[in-house]
Amino acid sequence: MSVGLLSCALRALSLGSSQIAGFPVASGVCAAVTGSRGFMTSACDLQNRSLWKQRDKYTVRPIGVKKTGGRDYTGRIITQRIGGGHKQRYRMIDFQRLRYEAGKEQQPIEEKVMEVRYDPCRSADIALVAGGSRKRWIIATEHMEAGDVIRTSGAIGRMAVLAREGDSHPLGALPVGTLVNNLELFPGKGAQYIRAAGTCGVLLRKVNGTAIVQLPSKHQIQVLETCMVTVGRVSNVEHNKRVIGKAGRNRWLGIRPSSGLWQRKGGWAGRKIRPLPPMKSFINLPSAAARS
Amino acid sequence: MLVKMFKATVQRVSTSALKISQNRKSENFHSVLIMIPHGRCCLSTSSCLYGKILPRKKPRVVHEIAGLEPITYADRMHFVPGLAKPKFPPWERGWKEPNHYQSPKLEDMPLYKDKPCYIFNQRTNVLEGVRQALWLSKSVLIKGFPDQILTLAEDPANQIENQDERVQNAIKSSRLWDTTEHRPPRERFCPSLLNGLLHLCGGLQVTHPELAKRILAEKYSLAATWRRGEDVFQVRGQNGWLLNSMTPLPVLAGQEQIQSTADQALETFYPIAPTIDLQNTHVYQEKNDTGFREDYPYPHAHTLFLMEMGNAPKLLPEQLRAKMVMFTFGNALARAQALYGKEPSVLEKPIVVQSVATNGRLFQFVVFQLNTTDLQSDSGVKNLVWVDEDQPLYEFAKVKPLIKKKVVQVPAGLSGYQPDTFKKFLALYLHGAV
Repeated sequence: MSVGLLSCALRALSLGSSQIAGFPVASGVCAAVTGSRGFMTSACDLQNRSLWKQRDKYTVRPIGVKKTGGRDYTGRIITQRIGGGHKQRYRMIDFQRLRYEAGKEQQPIEEKVMEVRYDPCRSADIALVAGGSRKRWIIATEHMEAGDVIRTSGAIGRMAVLAREGDSHPLGALPVGTLVNNLELFPGKGAQYIRAAGTCGVLLRKVNGTAIVQLPSKHQIQVLETCMVTVGRVSNVEHNKRVIGKAGRNRWLGIRPSSGLWQRKGGWAGRKIRPLPPMKSFINLPSAAARS
Repeated sequence: MLVKMFKATVQRVSTSALKISQNRKSENFHSVLIMIPHGRCCLSTSSCLYGKILPRKKPRVVHEIAGLEPITYADRMHFVPGLAKPKFPPWERGWKEPNHYQSPKLEDMPLYKDKPCYIFNQRTNVLEGVRQALWLSKSVLIKGFPDQILTLAEDPANQIENQDERVQNAIKSSRLWDTTEHRPPRERFCPSLLNGLLHLCGGLQVTHPELAKRILAEKYSLAATWRRGEDVFQVRGQNGWLLNSMTPLPVLAGQEQIQSTADQALETFYPIAPTIDLQNTHVYQEKNDTGFREDYPYPHAHTLFLMEMGNAPKLLPEQLRAKMVMFTFGNALARAQALYGKEPSVLEKPIVVQSVATNGRLFQFVVFQLNTTDLQSDSGVKNLVWVDEDQPLYEFAKVKPLIKKKVVQVPAGLSGYQPDTFKKFLALYLHGAV
């Protein structure tokens, strides 16, 4: 068996090593920042297709977006009803609230909200916050206004912190029953859940080292108590009450009409009333790739 | 076995055929080859004979095992199928070719220093505006135009004949008469307006010969370095037009006012650090350069003219005032260090530098008095800044009148002319020579 493994390793070594670092030669390694870098495209296609999202360094300035129309590298429509719409510029949002500045680790971060504005790429509003020597975009909470000072702290004390809206604390530091948003599944990975306009989750209970949160879909999940979360509801609460009004407005949003073909709906359609699935637990440590 | 091979060949044939055409299932289940020019169409079936795209296989990842050297075909000098690709050291030319020059890493550059430096250059757009500029230059703000200079312009002996009419002509010539289009671009009418106004002011040399001892420099580069707390700050770059004179400007504030600034506290803006938006670099040179040689016949900076013409970057009036304050401070500091040396100290003869900034219509006036070069601590004597904000010279200069619902809202030509703004401009010009 050991001979077989060694021969496998040697075969791997002998056949073309070329791990040219970084740029944009085809690499199958997925980066954690954008999940799309796992594609291996041809050299000329690489220059243009996804270059706008290859930027490593964080910037506050909006980046021009290349629309795909629901098509992938083969050119076919993979996701239907996408295409057209107003031009958009992407503002890089920092979902990892607890990101320390160089040289100021382990101190609570205080930031001032400079501006709350509309983001074309998502339903929620975004806020430009400035603290120390850096500025960044974050998802704004419901009553956030320009001039507010928000705190981010990674400490879990024995007593629960008085939760102010817009502040960010680990789940273990918040009192049970607070409305939270921008939930991290793994500590340090960045917020992945509860980011849409008007959504909020509820911290249900805290069980030795983990916390159980109810998501807006009423599903319950169990995460480590060191996962960072923001207090309050996400901004733009009236988003689900808006009336599109006309087909043209949907086209401005980049939504193409559905196919007009009438199809008999099967067992998959219609309202289903069934019990909640069992609680999903995320407390196993993720792989090294997910942690970066 | 044969059936398998046949099926495999059928698959390969159909996938290659896919590149030119698509197979479409008709109702009779006959596959019909249709030649479509673009070669694709939406398919709802997912059969592998009919256009399923297999996901691309990721390339084989070759791991390096420590202690094991891969056997390469470097000795054989040609590709050999079983051996690894050799890794050669990067080739160096040996001499510097400018077309193919790769700069060294930041850490290897000769001017690299461990301590970072925060540089305010001509493209900086500070977040906190004038408050940040005041903290960086250790100054105290006084709102409003200094009265001594304003009285200069009120004096009828100092005014130009037909002043208002000639100023209005200057505005019209830069805004309306310069081009046949409706409005000239800002990059064009802003400098031409400033040129016109300076030309008018220069016409007073007949009655005031002291005004002749001045010169306007267009593209000069400023460099000034100072330390504040534990950080090093610099002001660098080409910023605008500088009017130099042979004689220095007289001091505006008396000693009592200067000493009273020592009691006033500098305004901080927690949680934002004062170094925000400044260019942070480890490769820098601590340079103090006024932009002119030492034997220049006009050694004293008189007025700095800044133009905000829009795009790189677009500065709001608050940020424009901050840029003015920083560059006047830089000019004053560079000249103080040229005259009195680099030792930080309180100046016996404070240095005064003026500044005018415009975007073609709105004017901002700043007068900076440098009292001390001891900027390390936050306490002690501070510098003084007089800021006069947002003075419009005129409201509208339109070629076609703005008519809404058959009522003229804004007439054609120049409208809303404010004579006071030019008086202040003239006063700043005359200061020091009258």
